[in-house]
Amino acid sequence: MSEVKKENKIDKLLNQEMTRRKFMKISGKSLAGLTVSASLLSLFGCTQEQVDSGAVSLWTTPTGLLVVNQAKCTGCQRCEINCTVVNDGMVSSHTSRVKITRNLMSNNGHGTYQDDWVYYPDTCRQCDVPACGEACPKEAIYADDKGVKHVDEAKCVGCGACVEACPWHMPTIHPETRKSTKCILCGACAEGCVTGALSIVPWDAVTAAAQPTRKN
Amino acid sequence: MTIYGWAGKILRVNFTTGSITTEDTMKYKDYIGGIGIGYKVIYDEVPLDTHPYDEASKIVLAMGPLTGTGVPCSGRLSMTFLSSWTKGFSVVDAHMGGHISHALKYAGYDGIIFEGKSETPVYLKIDDDKVSIEDASHLWGKGTFEANRILVEENGSDFDAATIGPAGENLVNMSCMITSVGNAGGAGVGAIFGSKKVKGFVVRGTGSLKVADPKGLKEVSDYMLRELVGGNNNHNVPAVPQSWAEYSAPSGKNRWSGAPGRGWHKAEGGFVDMGEQPVGDIDKIGYRAHKGHFDHGPIADKYMVKVGGCSSCPIRCYAQYDIDPLAEYDLPTKVSNTCMPIIYQSAWYPEGLTDFVDEGDANLVICGAGARAVDDYGLWDNYGNIQRDFNYLYRSGILKEKLPEEEWNSIPWHWMKEGDPRFVVDIVRRISLKEGEISKLGLGTYLLVEEWDLGKEYFDIEYLQNVTYNGYPKHHSSEDAWQSGLLYNIMYNRDCMVHHITNFVQSGSPYELYKKILEEEFGEGAVDKPKHYTPMNRAKARLAKWAFIGKQWHDMATLCNWMYPMTLSPSKERGYKGDLELDAKYMTAVTGENWTREDVDLVSERVTNMLRVITAISFHIHEGSTNLREDHDTITAWVFDKEPDFEPFEAGTVKMDREDMEVAKTMFYEEMGWDVKTGIPTRETLERLGLGYMADDLEARGLLPA
Repeated sequence: MSEVKKENKIDKLLNQEMTRRKFMKISGKSLAGLTVSASLLSLFGCTQEQVDSGAVSLWTTPTGLLVVNQAKCTGCQRCEINCTVVNDGMVSSHTSRVKITRNLMSNNGHGTYQDDWVYYPDTCRQCDVPACGEACPKEAIYADDKGVKHVDEAKCVGCGACVEACPWHMPTIHPETRKSTKCILCGACAEGCVTGALSIVPWDAVTAAAQPTRKN
Repeated sequence: MTIYGWAGKILRVNFTTGSITTEDTMKYKDYIGGIGIGYKVIYDEVPLDTHPYDEASKIVLAMGPLTGTGVPCSGRLSMTFLSSWTKGFSVVDAHMGGHISHALKYAGYDGIIFEGKSETPVYLKIDDDKVSIEDASHLWGKGTFEANRILVEENGSDFDAATIGPAGENLVNMSCMITSVGNAGGAGVGAIFGSKKVKGFVVRGTGSLKVADPKGLKEVSDYMLRELVGGNNNHNVPAVPQSWAEYSAPSGKNRWSGAPGRGWHKAEGGFVDMGEQPVGDIDKIGYRAHKGHFDHGPIADKYMVKVGGCSSCPIRCYAQYDIDPLAEYDLPTKVSNTCMPIIYQSAWYPEGLTDFVDEGDANLVICGAGARAVDDYGLWDNYGNIQRDFNYLYRSGILKEKLPEEEWNSIPWHWMKEGDPRFVVDIVRRISLKEGEISKLGLGTYLLVEEWDLGKEYFDIEYLQNVTYNGYPKHHSSEDAWQSGLLYNIMYNRDCMVHHITNFVQSGSPYELYKKILEEEFGEGAVDKPKHYTPMNRAKARLAKWAFIGKQWHDMATLCNWMYPMTLSPSKERGYKGDLELDAKYMTAVTGENWTREDVDLVSERVTNMLRVITAISFHIHEGSTNLREDHDTITAWVFDKEPDFEPFEAGTVKMDREDMEVAKTMFYEEMGWDVKTGIPTRETLERLGLGYMADDLEARGLLPA
């Protein structure tokens, strides 16, 4: 796709009333080459250059747009710490629902031990049709009224089907509780990120920023 | 019974027999963790006349109950062992940050005791409860960057690794252990591992660490991040004005250097502007520390990719560079460091440096080359002593006298004169591989003086910065912290690494402000004006004791002493006052026991006295000494004789007064409960701290004060 066509496409997109449904169309895809409006960039805490370089990923979630900016991730692991202390009452990297440690040292030729510092937190995508839930033999993964997927611990048997089914292996079977740990969008990871590399932008803010003309 | 905070087990690996066992951490609970466990194990198990490189020598690597729990700035571990390089050859600690301490705790261990000696090169593999000794013959001889990379590739990307370099393998006293982020444990630990033929260890921890009150822990952590924490070294006001801030550093310089317009030009996708970092905004704290700018000024921004640091820490004190001018010399360009390696390599160039691409970039480029080299070879610099020894001996002509002519001529001095970054790499290689006479620099200052017959007066040279005659330099001493700083500088068997006082003195806060906060705590007269000191008083002795025992607390807990204690705060609403109860609050939330500041002080004092007793015994064995005041705590002459145009206590000088420092020692020993004549703990003190067995030992050796 030519640069001009790409720009036209995103401009068209961003000039419409932005809804979660519309953002779904670009969710998870590289934004490289797309021009993002200044107000949205400001909201996402990133620059057009970071978008162009592929450092920024966006994921639509029921509560907001999840922005991951790997140029800003400094590997402190506080996302994992906050995730597990809030959700499990104990601290762990392995069972965390957001995962930085597995990317930190060595990650497909990148990472600390590969002589660069390219790493980022993997997050649950809160897929509309979740592979984890589809794969669960006990139908233990359900959506609440907002669309956030939870694990019903009473039903979960810790079989690990969700771990295998998720293309990014985001759920983890907690070695002690033998229950699936799966992101429930509590937001503790993003709230505690000390460089804003991870943020969740609420939909009303996204919508407002994406339609400056209408708002005015 | 569920254990909270501690992982519960200590791993013991014997490299002679191959035996791998675990034991209950709780038997060491009185000593908390980290160096507390280290001192106890060394005291109980390693006769203090053991040569550090003998089979009977041990390394005790340990964390404390706060590490791994997510308490901010707790990604630390300590390694305790017998020194190979200081007067008295007593106990020393190395302290390492990074991410590996977390991995160890999640694997289920509070520490590892390395003992015995392998015949062939090996490394220790810890994969949760599966622990094995693995062949490392393919890694022996390799630098730490390559060794760590190979280890992670071979074992899996969710492993972390730490290794020694050629310096440790070759039993160079000045050697360290390194992770690939530049986190180093020094004090000669590399050669102790090397003597055991242990290249390093890898860890994967998939377990969880239990905390008694997770909600409370999160609340205390968030409170610290919103209200207490400042920048690097907990400097509590920004270096330059920010719109929200009442104060900034009058000099425009401190370690809260992140500011609008400053940042990382080599970041992925271009410049990251560090912006303002108001109090309370957790998502901006990571931009407060900009060590690159603090060390090298605006030129650092050009080459910075990111900042980094340790697990759990919001203060990212590592500057991570891609210094491309080094590529022209076929040197690696990626450098990650925060401490001496990235600020102190120009001392290898006594005749000066020349800029590379931009005005003022010479020091950064040279430091980049040197940092990468010392970290790769695993050479430890003894807080700059190795560079200062080289620099002084070169300038004075002594080096040329000591080196055989052929060796002298083989050294690429033209690189030194041209400011070529390959010079530092060449010298670091020679020392690390023990190539030639110049490698005696790797003995450490104390043994170098003996070896080259430099005389006791060598230690009295101001440039060399030795604070005692024992072989290590000052580390934020009287120049920052009057008598109090000098007192704790002479208490250890290495550079003291106590940051309690320098952190508020150098914070950039108004003097009257921090003086009031500190003197409420320690009494009137505790805090002198910068460069305008007053004679010794009791409040200064209390202040010194607080800092001295507090440092041990951090290495027991294990917390970062660059950040803790939270003495000051950046919050105007708090009147800039920090919270000295914070560590106890964390202990309560994590362990479920009710901890007070007094409890923290008591265990800190206990472990501090273990250091002192072990030192007394070592000095008795190796020096025939019965008096630490005279034989260990002796201050070098330059501290009193510097700046001859000034008298002590005049405005404008930090020089100290000999008689006054003797008064200071006496008051300090009294505060510590030590005999003022010998500086050795009394039975009463040791028994109060639950160390009666150490009093018995001292008595049996004729060292217990009457």
